Amino acid sequence: MKNTLKWLACLSLNLMLSLPLFAGTVTGKVNFTGTAPEPEAISMDADPVCAGAHEEPQMTEEVVVNPDNTLKNVFVYVKTGLEGQTFPAPTTPVVMDQKGCHYNPHVFGVQVGQPVQIVNSDSTLHNVHGMPTKSKEFNLGMPIQGMKLNKKFDAPEIGAKFKCDVHPWMNAYAGVTDHPFYSVTGDSGTYEIKDLPPGKYTLEAWQEKYGAKTQEITVTDAAQTADFTFAG
Amino acid sequence: MAPKSPELYNLKTTAIYFAAASILLLLGLVGMVLQDSIRDWKGYQREFIDYSREKTQKEIETARAKIDQNKLKQLHTEFETAQIQIKAHQQEIKQLEKEVTRLELECKKTRTAYQDLKQVQDSDRYFFEDDREHHKQHEAAQYEARLKLQEPKLTDLKLKVEQAEASRDETQAQLDKFLAAQKNADAEMAKLTLDVTRFEKKFESLKPNFFKSLLDAPMLDFLKPSLRIQQVVLENLEDDFYFVRAKKVDRCITCHLGIDQKGLEGAPVPFKSHPRLDLFVSADSPHPVETFGCTVCHGGSGHSANFVTTAHTPHDEKQKKEWEKKYAWKEMEHAPEKMISLKHAEASCAKCHNGVVDVPQAPKLNEGRRLAETFGCFNCHKVAGVERWKVGPSLLNVQSKLEQDWIVRWLKNPKEFRPSTKMPRVFHLSNTSDEASVEKSAVAIAGIATYLIKNSGSVSLLSPPVKGDPEKGKKQMEALGCLGCHTANGKAANNHGPELSNLGSKVTPDWLYTWLKDPKHYSPSTRMPSLRLSNEEASNITRYLLTQRDQNFESSRLPHIKAENVDDLALTFLSGEMRRADARKQLDQMNQEQRLEYIGKKSISHQGCFSCHAIKGFETTKPIGTELTEEGSKDVRKLDFGFVHLEHDRASWFFQKLKEPRIFDEGKDKTYHDKLRMPQFDMTDEQAQSLTTFLLSLQKAHIPQEMHKNLNLKEAQVEEGRLLVRKLNCQGCHTVDGVEGRIRSITEDLGKAPPVINGEGKKVQPQWLFQFLHEPAAIRPWLNVRMPTFDFSDTELTTLVDYFQNLDHVPPSYNTSHAKPPAEMMAAGHELFQKFQCIKCHKAEPQPGLSASFLAPNLLMAKSRLRPEWVVEWLKDPQILQEGTMMPTFFAEKQSPLPDVLGGDYVKQSEALRDYLWEFTPEEARIIEQPAPSKAAAKTVT
Repeated sequence: MKNTLKWLACLSLNLMLSLPLFAGTVTGKVNFTGTAPEPEAISMDADPVCAGAHEEPQMTEEVVVNPDNTLKNVFVYVKTGLEGQTFPAPTTPVVMDQKGCHYNPHVFGVQVGQPVQIVNSDSTLHNVHGMPTKSKEFNLGMPIQGMKLNKKFDAPEIGAKFKCDVHPWMNAYAGVTDHPFYSVTGDSGTYEIKDLPPGKYTLEAWQEKYGAKTQEITVTDAAQTADFTFAG
Repeated sequence: MAPKSPELYNLKTTAIYFAAASILLLLGLVGMVLQDSIRDWKGYQREFIDYSREKTQKEIETARAKIDQNKLKQLHTEFETAQIQIKAHQQEIKQLEKEVTRLELECKKTRTAYQDLKQVQDSDRYFFEDDREHHKQHEAAQYEARLKLQEPKLTDLKLKVEQAEASRDETQAQLDKFLAAQKNADAEMAKLTLDVTRFEKKFESLKPNFFKSLLDAPMLDFLKPSLRIQQVVLENLEDDFYFVRAKKVDRCITCHLGIDQKGLEGAPVPFKSHPRLDLFVSADSPHPVETFGCTVCHGGSGHSANFVTTAHTPHDEKQKKEWEKKYAWKEMEHAPEKMISLKHAEASCAKCHNGVVDVPQAPKLNEGRRLAETFGCFNCHKVAGVERWKVGPSLLNVQSKLEQDWIVRWLKNPKEFRPSTKMPRVFHLSNTSDEASVEKSAVAIAGIATYLIKNSGSVSLLSPPVKGDPEKGKKQMEALGCLGCHTANGKAANNHGPELSNLGSKVTPDWLYTWLKDPKHYSPSTRMPSLRLSNEEASNITRYLLTQRDQNFESSRLPHIKAENVDDLALTFLSGEMRRADARKQLDQMNQEQRLEYIGKKSISHQGCFSCHAIKGFETTKPIGTELTEEGSKDVRKLDFGFVHLEHDRASWFFQKLKEPRIFDEGKDKTYHDKLRMPQFDMTDEQAQSLTTFLLSLQKAHIPQEMHKNLNLKEAQVEEGRLLVRKLNCQGCHTVDGVEGRIRSITEDLGKAPPVINGEGKKVQPQWLFQFLHEPAAIRPWLNVRMPTFDFSDTELTTLVDYFQNLDHVPPSYNTSHAKPPAEMMAAGHELFQKFQCIKCHKAEPQPGLSASFLAPNLLMAKSRLRPEWVVEWLKDPQILQEGTMMPTFFAEKQSPLPDVLGGDYVKQSEALRDYLWEFTPEEARIIEQPAPSKAAAKTVT
C-alpha cells in the first residue's frame, strides 16, 4: 500500500514536470470589415531603375485586404504570459530583401538578438533607415546590387519602422519580440503560432494603420483558435 | 554677671546666611554649567551616532548576507586542516624557526663586518687621494698598499653575506612551505569578510562607553570631547559684522552631519546627504565645502549652532507651522542674512556666475532672467551689466500703422484684444478702479493716443500688387517658418513675436504688405527679419492675416471724456511745472486738442511708456523704475508692505509685487498721481516665482574675484553669441547649443523642419558662414522654411561666427582650399562617387515632384562651404555627427562595400570622396547626372 502511494506520487510529480512538454498551437484569421482606404498608385518615375522594374502600377501597402476580406501583413504575437522565461535567439537570420524598390517582406517578426539580413537585389542605391525607438537607430547606404548587411535589435518593440530615404514610398515594419511565438498574416489572412506551452496568454494583433487589438487565450495541448477583426 | 559683650553680628545667624548663600551660589553654578553644556547640537550629534550605529548594523548584516558561506566554510576547513598539519610537524617547524633566527643573526653579523670594512676602505681611499694630490708620496703609497690588501677581503665578505642570506632564505622557504596553507586560507578569509570587518570596526567605534561619556561631561568637556562643534573656516570669504569683516565660519555641519556622505540620501533631516553631491559639498565637486562653505549659497548665520539663531527659513506655511511646534522656531527679524528659502536657492549662483546668459544647472534662475528680458523689466528698471533693448514696437511712425481709436481701445486693456500679449495693463487696475480714477485714466488714454499720432512720422506704403489668396497665404505662412517666432492658427511653438491674431481689426493691407516685404522700412530697429517674400507670397499672407477680425473689439464704445477732467488733469500736470496761477493762464491758452496732447505727453512720461517703445520727444528720458542692481540684498525695512499681511521678507514682497503690483496701495489715501504705477503683467505663479528667484539673485555680494567663475576669452565670446541668439530667437527654428528648435514640436515631417545646426562651427568654413549670415541663400532648395535676412552688422556677424566656432572648440580656420590630391585618390574618389550613387540624392538641380527627404544639398557647394576635415568625419559615419540624419553610412561596421578600391580602407575611401568633391565641377555633375540607359529602363520602353 505504502509503496503504491509512493509510486503514485512519483508518477503525478513526473506528469506535472513533463506537462509543459506538451505544447499547443494557436491559429486564427484576421478579418476585415468596412471599407479600406483605396490603395494609391506609387509614382516611381524619380528613379528609372524602380520604374523599370514593374510593368504594372505599384500600390501602397499600408492596408492590404485579401479577396476573402481578410487582412494581410498583420503581426500576431504573444504579448504577455511568457514573463520570466528566456528563449535563446536563433542564429539563422530573417531576410529582408529590397527588390523592385519594395521591402520584402513588408511586415516581419524577429527575435531580440537574432540577425536581420538586409539584401539589396536592385541595381540602384537604397538606404535602410531603421528607426526603432527601443534599439539604436541606424541608416545604412546600400549602393551595390547583391549587397548584404546584418543588423540586430536590442529590445522588444512592435512596429519598428524601416524606411528608405531615397525612395520615400518604401517602408517596412518589424515586430521585435523576446520569444519565438509570433506570426504574420499572408494572402489568406491566417496566422499560426506553434509550440506554445500551455498557459494563459494575451495575444495581440498589430496592423500599421489600425494599431493593436488584444485577446486573452488559454492554451492547453489541444489546438486553439483566436480570430481578430479590424474595421476600416 | 558680666555684662554681655557687644556683638557686631550674631554668629549663628551669619552662619545660616552664609550657608544659604553658598547653596544658592552652588545651585547657580550648577545651573550655569548645565546651561552651558546642554546644547541642541549635542542632541543631534548623539542622534546621528545612534543613527549611524543602526545603519552600520544593517550594513554588517547585508555584508554578511553577501558572503559566500560555502566558500567561507571551505576556507575554514582548509585553515583547520593546515593547522593540524602544522601541529603534526611541530618539531620540525620549531627547529626551522630556530634555524631561521640563527641564520638571520649570521646575516646581520657578516653584513656588519662587510660594512665596517667598507667604511675603512672608503676612509683609506680618501686619504690616499688626498695625499696623492698633495704630493705626499710616501703616505699615499702606504694607503695604496692597504687598499690593495682590503680588496680581496671585501670580496670575500660580500660573498659570505650572500651565502648567509641565501641559506636564510632557503630555510625560510622550508618553513613557509609548512605555514603557507594556513596563511593562504587566513588571507582568503580576511578578503571574503573584508566588508564585514570594516563595518564591525566602524560599529565598534560608534559604541558609547564610559570614557567617552566622561569626556563629554560638563566641566570636563574642554579636554577631548567626542561631541564638538564642527566647522569650516573659509580663507577667501568673509562675514560682515557691520563694522568688522572676519573670515567666514560655517558651523552648519555640526548638525548636518551626513551632508557630505554618499548613501545618506534617505536619512532623516538633518542627517541627509546633500541632494547634489556631484555639484556641491563633496571634495571632488566644483564647489567643495572646504572652499565655499554653506552660507555663501544658502544664507543664514553660519557661526550659530542653534536652529533658530542660524535663521533657517521655511519654504512654505506648512513647514513654518511644523517648525514652530518642533523647534520653537521664530523669525530672526534682525538677522542681516536670513537663510534663503530652498525654492529660491538658485539665486545665490549669480553671486559668482556673472556674465553668462544662462547659469548652468540653475533652470529657475535662468527662466527668471529670460522672463525679465521678455517682459521688458530691464526697460524700466536699470540693472547694471545687463544689456537692454526696447521690447515694445517703435511708435515713431505709428500713424502709418494704427488708428487713434484703436490705440485708445488697446490701452484700456491690451489683453482684451490679444490675451497672449506681453504688453502689460497700465490703466484701470486695483488702485485706479474707482470712478474718479477711471474717468481720469480715460482722459490720460485719450491724451496718449493723441500725442502718439500727432508726434509720429510717416512712411511710404506699398499696396499689394495682387489680391492674394488667403488659403495659400495660410499655408505659406506656416511653410515659410513664421511659426518659428509667432503663434498663429492655434499653433504655438514660441511666444517670441506677437501672436498673429485679429490683425484685420488692427492694421491696413498696405501697411501689412509693406511690413512683410521689408520690416525695417517701417521700423529700422525692429528685430523682425525679412523673409525675402515674393510679391505674391506677401500679398497672400497679408490677405490671410487680415481675414481675422474681432468685431466686439472694433465696435466697443470709446470712453466718454469729460471736459472738467481734461482741465483738471492738465492743470495738475501744469502745476508741477509752474505756479498755480501761471498754470491756469497757460491752460486757458490751450485748445482742447492741445490740452489732450499735453496730457498725453505727461502721461507717457508718468507711466514710462517710452521705456519699452521708441516715442518721439522721449529720446533721452531716463526710465522710471527703481534700479534693481542690488534689489536682492535690499533692506527689508525699505520695502513698503503697506497694510498687506505678508511675511516680512524679500521673497514674499517680490512675489506679491509681481503678481499684483498695485496691492500695496490698499488702504492708503493717495492722489491719482501718487498711486503706484507698475503695470499688471498677469504672470502665472510659476513665472512670478522664477522672477522672484532672479530678483533675489541681484545682490551686493563681497566675493573676491578669484572665487568668481571667470570666463576666458572664448567663453566670453560664446556668451556674447548666446545673448544674440536669444535676442533674435535662432532657437525658434534651429536646434543648437543644447536647445531643440522650438518649431520642431509643431512640425509633422521633420525632414521639412529647419536644419539642426549643432556642430556648425566644426562643419562649415567661417568665411562661408559670415557670408551666408550676411546674405542667406538656399542650401536646401527642397525646404519651404526660409532662413530670413537679419541685416546683421559686421560686429554681429563676427559674434555669431565666433560663437559657432567656440561652441565646437575649433580654431579659426582660413583654409578654404584643399591641396590637389594625387591622381590615385582622384580616380578612387570618382569611382566611389559613381558607385555610391551620391548624385541620386545630392542633385545639382532639384527635381520637382519628389518627397522632401529625397533631396540633399548640392555638392557643388561643398568646397566653398564645408571644412575638408569635417567632410571625412561625416562620410565615415553621419549618424555620429547628426543622429537621425537621412544621410546613410556607406561603411557599416567600418567596412566598405567596395573592397577593391584603395584596399577597402574606409577612411581612405572617405578621404578620396572628399578629395573628389573639392575638384567637382558643374560639367562633371552634368555628365554623371545623365541617366544612363539602363536595362530596366529599356524594358519599359519596349
